Amino acid sequence: MHISFLIHNGYAIGGTVRTTYNLARSLAEQHDVEVVSVFRSRDRPVFDPGPGVRLRYLVDTRGGAAAESLGAEHTRPAQVFPAADGKYPMYSALTDRLIGEHLGGTDADVVVGTRPGLNTHLARQTRRGPVRLGQEHLTLATHSRRLKLVLRGVYPRLDGLTTVTEADAADYRKLFRLPGVRIEAVPNSVPAPDVIPSDGTSKWVVAAGRLAPAKRYDLLIRSFAKVVAERPDWRLRIYGGGRERPKLRKLIDQLGLYNHIFLMGPTHPIEPEWAKGSIAAVTSSLESFGMTIVEAMRCGLPVVATDCPHGPGEIIRSGVDGRLVPMGDEDAVAGALLGLINDDELRRRMGQAALADAERFDPSHVGAHYESLMRDLMSRGSRGLHRTRGSLLGGAYAVKDAIKGTTAGFGALQGGRTA
Amino acid sequence: MSSTTDTVAAAGTPGPVPLAKPPAATRERPARAAKSPAPGKSQSAQRGPTADCTADIAGGLTFDVRLPEGTEPGQDPGLLLRLRPGPSGETETVRLPLAPVEDGAPLITLRAALPSTMPLSEGRWNVFLALDDQEPRRLAPGINDLRSLVDRTPREGRTWLGVRIPYATKHGNLSVRAWLRWPHAEAGSLRVMDGGLVLCGRLYGAEIVPSARLEARPRRGEAESVFAEVAAEGADFTAVLPYPQLADHQLWDLWLRPGEGEKPIRIARILDDVPDKKRIFTYPAQRIEPLPEQRSGPNSATTGPVATATPYYTLNNDLAVRIDREPEAGDLVD
Repeated sequence: MHISFLIHNGYAIGGTVRTTYNLARSLAEQHDVEVVSVFRSRDRPVFDPGPGVRLRYLVDTRGGAAAESLGAEHTRPAQVFPAADGKYPMYSALTDRLIGEHLGGTDADVVVGTRPGLNTHLARQTRRGPVRLGQEHLTLATHSRRLKLVLRGVYPRLDGLTTVTEADAADYRKLFRLPGVRIEAVPNSVPAPDVIPSDGTSKWVVAAGRLAPAKRYDLLIRSFAKVVAERPDWRLRIYGGGRERPKLRKLIDQLGLYNHIFLMGPTHPIEPEWAKGSIAAVTSSLESFGMTIVEAMRCGLPVVATDCPHGPGEIIRSGVDGRLVPMGDEDAVAGALLGLINDDELRRRMGQAALADAERFDPSHVGAHYESLMRDLMSRGSRGLHRTRGSLLGGAYAVKDAIKGTTAGFGALQGGRTA
Repeated sequence: MSSTTDTVAAAGTPGPVPLAKPPAATRERPARAAKSPAPGKSQSAQRGPTADCTADIAGGLTFDVRLPEGTEPGQDPGLLLRLRPGPSGETETVRLPLAPVEDGAPLITLRAALPSTMPLSEGRWNVFLALDDQEPRRLAPGINDLRSLVDRTPREGRTWLGVRIPYATKHGNLSVRAWLRWPHAEAGSLRVMDGGLVLCGRLYGAEIVPSARLEARPRRGEAESVFAEVAAEGADFTAVLPYPQLADHQLWDLWLRPGEGEKPIRIARILDDVPDKKRIFTYPAQRIEPLPEQRSGPNSATTGPVATATPYYTLNNDLAVRIDREPEAGDLVD
């Protein structure tokens, strides 16, 4: 198969980039794989796309050049890329045309979109023939109303849509009318790390991720104050950068935990840092998947995580390879951490279980899942018929929703699943 | 294996290591020159050579250099460590032999060892790959496995302490930070309290006697040092540094005098895996309540709006205290 991924910026740092390359690399062992990056912001990609994966780009934005320098076409707003996708300001008539030319002339058997705006391009501009597979790396529940309406109208023209959790796939099935579109949950893949797993003997808890409000590091810091009160010999490292840093720094200082909690800054690669810890902590209020949970598990760490929508509950088997605790509950986080801190044998056993259980996220398994999905979709033959039907139906529903102004389903989803 | 390594001190002096053209180590630059291929052009993901570093408990480092596809190791491959020149322009080069690792990986991996027994001058060392007839090439960092450095306790019975921490520079190159100290006073927990700083640490290579003192020395100017008593339990020491006495100068370096008449030892934090402490190990600023006699001093920091004291680590990971007149000034000084 010739598989072509379409990505926003394959030269940047990001979960989607990393997981796309993991998948591309795995598929490239058997297939002809290319990644088309709409933008190129750096000379070299931060993450290695992998051997055999061809990376190319459509628009060169290196040096932060002004839109004008790329021509008048780039100053005109995009028509195909939906305004409801958060990356809309970066797209233009130029990207509309270049992506359209790419998709209209591609000789790929399967084209894969990696965000809602690009899935929209896929649905509207791919020539007749290739399988159109959209990927949802976030969740339907967290999309704006406006974006949901757009997607409702265009996704019927896809052949398949993958989500990273079963919960999100269920949302799409329940709330979108997508006849003939295969909706399937395929988790993100995480390769085996290049470091030896942790032996669980260090007295460090490790967390990693953007210092963003949804990660709730404030909750982790407050929880850790309770840990330190009982076990002052244990400490916490938080890896990552972000705008919450000054606030978190202040909180650490206020609580007098500057000898116990350290903001380590952005770090790449992260695997050797997980391996320095014995327990990982994730206290987010939202994780569309939960890459860091799997990463930590693959390094042999049991993870204490909040049972937030959607990922953690589908990754961790609580009490076996980690612990799930209610969202926003400081005492529960501290209790779960102390449970593992105070029981060396339990910690070691759960770390071993985490290592074994996280193997299911290996790119080989995830790649095989995708491969069989792609083959199934290809073998359905010409999808012209169902797609026409699907797009008409989808269009009708979108119009209906627009007229009604509100939809109960979207409203219920707005707040996300509550744990 | 250390017997096969050569050390050449001071560039310019002829040494046993033939270096056709020493690489310019004075300026960092990206490993590869930027090219601007036409849009839409395919780009291979190939990169230059990278090195994985693994630290052992004793302080030794192993470098596993992965050669790019199609690169031959040649006759006598070597790893060069080159000390970034100081103000005097002097540099040093260490050459470590590279030998192939036999593990059947698709790419060729060469290994070099920097034994814990081999001293490395204090500073930042840039790391190069030297192959036959080729100019040494700066290595990019791969996986640095430094878990054995976290919470490191140096081995007893040494006559010097060597610390080397490999790290990625901001330009994405591999460098090694090295410290060479003996005796060494390692800073542990610091506690900021009303009117002063409680410092806990551990001394290696010297004995603490009852006349030991913590010395805060003004970095600039002729002013007197400020001393504080030291309580010790074996090698562990605790001292309380009073802040009001520090109000008149901006920067104070902290030293430990293990006993009356003994040479002072710089207090630093180097026994872990963090190459740059400054931005990670930070401490709250504390308002200084001035001493009565300082209230009218002409150059007193306390004549400004508010003076605060903040302990911090310098770029060399030495412990210092900074006095600011405005708490939010936050200038990065070293």
